[in-house]
Amino acid sequence: MAVKHNNGIILTTVEEVLSWGRRNSLWPASVGLACCAIEMMHTAASRFDTDRLGIIFRGSPRQSDVLIVAGTVVNKVAPMLKLIYDQMPDPKWVISMGGCSSAGGPFPTYATLQGVDRIIPVDVYVPGCPPTPQALLWGIMELQKKIKAKKEGKVWEEIPVKEVPTASQPIKEKSPLGF
Amino acid sequence: MQIWISSEELESVKNQFEGINVEEGENFTSLTVDKNSLLNLLVYLKNSLGYKHFIDLFCIDYPLHKPRFQGIYILFNPEKNRRVAVKCWAEEDSLPSVVHIWKGAKWAEREAWDMFGVSFDGHENLVRMFLWEGYKYHPLRKDFPLKGIEDTYLPSLNLRPDEIPAHNYNPYHTKVPTLEDIERTQKSRMEKKNQIVLNWGPLHPGTHGTIWFLFDMEGEYVKNCDIILGQLHRGVEKIAENLTYTQFIPYTDRMDYISALCSQVAYVNAVEKLLGIDPPEKAKYIRTMMCELQRINSHLLWLGTFALDLGALTIFLYAFREREKIMDIIEGIAGIRLNSSYIRIGGVAKDLPDGALDVISHFIKDFPEKLEEYETILTKNRVWLKRNVDVGIIKKDDVYSYGLTGVVARSAGIPYDIRMVQPTDAYDKVDFEIPLGKVGDCYDRYLLRMEEMRQSLSIIAQCVEKLKNMEGKEYIATDYSNVLPTLEEVFNSIESMVKDFTLRVYGEKTTDGEVYLSGENPRGELGFYINSKGEGRPYRMRIRSGAFYNLQIFPELIKGRTIADAVAILGSLDPVVGETDR
Repeated sequence: MAVKHNNGIILTTVEEVLSWGRRNSLWPASVGLACCAIEMMHTAASRFDTDRLGIIFRGSPRQSDVLIVAGTVVNKVAPMLKLIYDQMPDPKWVISMGGCSSAGGPFPTYATLQGVDRIIPVDVYVPGCPPTPQALLWGIMELQKKIKAKKEGKVWEEIPVKEVPTASQPIKEKSPLGF
Repeated sequence: MQIWISSEELESVKNQFEGINVEEGENFTSLTVDKNSLLNLLVYLKNSLGYKHFIDLFCIDYPLHKPRFQGIYILFNPEKNRRVAVKCWAEEDSLPSVVHIWKGAKWAEREAWDMFGVSFDGHENLVRMFLWEGYKYHPLRKDFPLKGIEDTYLPSLNLRPDEIPAHNYNPYHTKVPTLEDIERTQKSRMEKKNQIVLNWGPLHPGTHGTIWFLFDMEGEYVKNCDIILGQLHRGVEKIAENLTYTQFIPYTDRMDYISALCSQVAYVNAVEKLLGIDPPEKAKYIRTMMCELQRINSHLLWLGTFALDLGALTIFLYAFREREKIMDIIEGIAGIRLNSSYIRIGGVAKDLPDGALDVISHFIKDFPEKLEEYETILTKNRVWLKRNVDVGIIKKDDVYSYGLTGVVARSAGIPYDIRMVQPTDAYDKVDFEIPLGKVGDCYDRYLLRMEEMRQSLSIIAQCVEKLKNMEGKEYIATDYSNVLPTLEEVFNSIESMVKDFTLRVYGEKTTDGEVYLSGENPRGELGFYINSKGEGRPYRMRIRSGAFYNLQIFPELIKGRTIADAVAILGSLDPVVGETDR
């Protein structure tokens, strides 16, 4: 984006405007599966208030562009969840919230799907059991960075597992002096 | 306190029926009867001795015994506050159906068929309860592995640039059903007899989780209804058989995730009965206090979502504002917001931190005002009254027949509350009242839950008063051989370290025994039946879920009403799918 001579003219590309719009109005489909759904509701409700980030939960997959898989995906619900994902219009992203949907979590059983990425591709994994609302907000902001990077043609660097923030180990800001 | 059937009644049963084997115990008393006289015995217990409240029905697998499966029925006498268990061996893998005696047995029998493959003669439609039609196995049988049969190639779709899967786990997976399988499951449940079959759920925000409803409709009116569960069946009962008693505590949180602490307390109490452990006084008060905090928390979530479903968005935001405060208190005490694995066998995990009681005192001072705020908005609101009054009326007979418990039973005027029937922890030392409904409609259940929150506040206030004088006292009874030592003890004494190691590796050693103990969850009676064979882990653990039985009356309540009442009735029953499906 470039501002020309400060007299009200902004030069940009269509791609850039689209990307800016997409990442600042992520509308998730309100699909709750298990415990994580409660924390997802807390993220959306009074205290954390996702509306201020342009995140509004929609009742229909046709109106939404993010699927937050919040909770254990069991084998029986897997085809129905995939149906919801298929019904969402492109471009669409998936956030896997919590241990269960990321890799089966504490349920290594006959009935549980061991990772939702076996049926739908995942963009951001948020760790935790369940993740706190802060962690989910972090995941959403990571997704925003990913959308931005894709527009600029950069390769999105995966975050090493050790640096993923959790409730007990919040995000470490590097000090400008390099400490 | 004697809760199981008395010896006089046992004598009368013995005189009436021949060949009955009685096992008497403090924690579990059962009558073993052969298959031919099972129905007669159950009818006799129901009609002559007054054991008319249906509590639970489940099976146990003994692979080396012939016949292999045993069915267990648990009944309750509401007049004398007594329980009884009836056992019966399933000859030729089948048992007679008891749906015509108690309607609540319908789903329990389906579950036993699904999990064990025990068929029930005379059941109207014996289909799979949690898994789908076409699933080949019966997973709770002892010869079925916990991991399942991994026969389907299902690798991760997230590939890294050099084509390595994002996870390095097994690309083979247990079978995932296709949409055709799901459709077959739906067809097996209900035939279309009227104009249209409407699907509601399973991934609908109004269904409070992943419940799948089928409505057979004539115009706007529901003529027939069925519910498909199992969209959150994670195999918790199977997991329990593979873990030690302490290791299972986090799973109780994840079953009923809205009232995690109540589930923990119910489970730990059952295990303590089995191991013969008596927790210290302070731990009992802490447990009671935390349980009631969690009850308010749970009722607030119910209020918020119930009101949201009926169109009152404001209440949702208000209720969540208060919930955040309780979550902060729980996080401060237990360390985790939602699924706090705070209760331990023999006490609690940590002592109360400094200032915890002050924070709770502030909360109970502050909260009644907020409750009034909610009631000002709702109680006399015309829309609220129209949506709730005389909707979903539950009769007294239904309570016994369907095995309803908790607020749903009390709304019909049945004073069934485990905190009174069989008080655990400090419930016999605190003073509280149990509100009862008159009509049994959705509005009664709303009023009841609001009043219960007030009663919980009074219980918390009493506990806080007691706990103020208990500073520095013992909070976990580590003298018992089966209680894990605290972290401090492990680091400072070699005996404790050895004990910690053995308990964590080999589990809590017990003698053979059975125990059934329940706790009053916000959703109803949450019972734990534990069958121990002296190993470090349970041989069979049955979780009697309140929401599972409460939800069962939904098709009965919605019949003949408009589709708009579905959200009101479902919201007032307040199911949590983690607990119904386990």
